[in-house]
Amino acid sequence: MEGASVVGVGMTDFGVHDQPLPELFADAAFEAMDDAGADADVIDAFYLGNAMGGQTESDTHLAPTLASHIGLAGIPCSRFEDACATSSNAFKHAVEAVRAGTHDVVLVGGVERCTPSTGLETPEMTAIFASASHRQYEQPTGLTFPGVFGLLTTRHMHEHGTTEEHLAEIAVKNHANGTLNSRAQFGKETTVEAVLDSPVVASPFRLLDCCPFSDGASAVVVANAAGASTLTGDPVTVAGVGHATDVIPLAEKADLTATQSARDAASQAYEQAGIGPADVDVVELHDCFTGAEVLAIEALGLVEDGEGGPASARGETALDGRIPVNPSGGLKAKGHPIGATGAAQIVELVEHLRGEAGERQVEDASTGLAHNLGGDAGTTIVSILEVAR
Amino acid sequence: MTVDERLTHARWTEALRDGRLLGQRCSECDTVTATPEAACPACGARGLETIDLPTSGIVHTATTIEVSPTEFDAGYRVAVIDLETDGGARVTARLEGEASIGDRVELTDVLEVRETVPVFS
Repeated sequence: MEGASVVGVGMTDFGVHDQPLPELFADAAFEAMDDAGADADVIDAFYLGNAMGGQTESDTHLAPTLASHIGLAGIPCSRFEDACATSSNAFKHAVEAVRAGTHDVVLVGGVERCTPSTGLETPEMTAIFASASHRQYEQPTGLTFPGVFGLLTTRHMHEHGTTEEHLAEIAVKNHANGTLNSRAQFGKETTVEAVLDSPVVASPFRLLDCCPFSDGASAVVVANAAGASTLTGDPVTVAGVGHATDVIPLAEKADLTATQSARDAASQAYEQAGIGPADVDVVELHDCFTGAEVLAIEALGLVEDGEGGPASARGETALDGRIPVNPSGGLKAKGHPIGATGAAQIVELVEHLRGEAGERQVEDASTGLAHNLGGDAGTTIVSILEVAR
Repeated sequence: MTVDERLTHARWTEALRDGRLLGQRCSECDTVTATPEAACPACGARGLETIDLPTSGIVHTATTIEVSPTEFDAGYRVAVIDLETDGGARVTARLEGEASIGDRVELTDVLEVRETVPVFS
C-alpha cells in the first residue's frame, strides 16, 4: 500500500457569502490547486462534501457541476453526505483511493451555505439541520441539533459534574483563538459572563455555546508518492484515518456520553499511525456546541473520562496549554459551513505542520489530529497528519 | 420470524395511539429496543420478538428547546426515557412538567406533528 499526503490546501473565509455554490467553491479549490502546483490536467478525481444543497438551495448532482466550473469535467466526481462529517468522509475516500493506486491525485472539497443568504431564516434552517436526526422517532418530538447535544451534555453533567461554567470556558477559549484567524466568522473575544448571560437555545446551551450558521468552502489536494512527485506543494503525511458509526436513534446508543464512534475511529487512526493520544501536538475537533468539545477530548483520550470540563477550565486545551485544541477557533468561532468543515480542519492542521499558522501557530507541531462527527455522533472520522519525513 | 410479523412503524404508531408502547427483544442477545428495527442493533440478528414495554420509566436525560424548527413552538422539553427493562430499552419523547434526571414519569399522551411520538409526564 502506498502512502498518502496532502500537498495543497485552500479555504474561503467562513461567514456570509452571497455567491452561488460553484463560485464559492472555486475560490477554495483554486487556492488548494495552486498551493499544490496542480493544474487541472493532473487531477484524477474529485470527491466533494456537501450535506444539504438539495434542501437549502435546490441544488443536487453537485460534484460534476462544481468540477465543470473549475475545469475538471470528465474525471470521476463523487459527492459524499454524512451530515457534519461530510467532507471528512470525502477525504477518507481520497486517501484510500491514492493509497490503493486507483488515483494518484485527488481534489477533495467541501462547500455549504447555511446563513440567511440562502433565503432561509433560523426556523427553516433549524428544521433542515434536524433532518439528520431520526425521521420517525426523533424529528417529530421537535428535537433540534442543539437539543441532541443538549441531551448528551446534560447526561454528562449529571454523571460527571460538568458545569455550565466549564462549557462557557470552552467558548471563551475558542473565541480567543478565533481572533488570531483572519478566516474566522467571529473575530472577537467573549467572557464566561457573556456566555452565561446569552439566551438559551437548547439547555444547557446558550447562544454563545453554539456554533453559528455559516457559508464557506474548503479544499485539499491528496496524492500518493507518484502523484506528489509531479507536484510542487509542501507535502504533509496522512498517517491514519479512522471511520466508525454508532446506532441511530440516539436513545439506542449504549452510552450517551461516550460518543462511541469517535472512540472507535480514534482507535483505528492511532493504530494506523502507530501513536497514541500523548503523541498528538495539535487537535482540530468538532465543537458544534461547547459540550461536544468535552465529549470529544474524552473520546480521543486527551483527558480522562469525566475530566473534559475541568481540564478545559484549567486551560489544558488552550493555545499555550498541554494539548492545544481548535487553534482555528473551532466550529464555535471559525464557523461551520457543514460540508466544508471536515476539509477545513485538514487545512488548519496542514498549516500548523508546515509552520505557516502565523499568530496561532502551535510551536514545533509535528503531529495533528482532526475529529469530525456527523449527526448525533452516528458518524465520526478521525484523521492523523504528520510532518513529512 | 417472517417479514409480516416484524414490528413496523405503522403498527408501533397504532399501538402508541392506544396507549401502548411496543418494542422488540432480540432472540439472540436479549437487547430490547423501543422503536422498530428490522434487525437487532447490537448483534444483527433478525429474530426479534415484539413485546409490550412498560409505560413508566426514569428520565435518563432531557433538554429544553428554546429555538425550534418550523412546525414547533419553542419552549418545550425533549427527553430520553429509560424504560427499566432487562436489555436496556430507552425511548425519545416529549416531556411535560418539571421532572429531571432520575425522576419517574408515565406515558400520558401522544404528540402528532407529521408522526406520532410519546409524551411522558
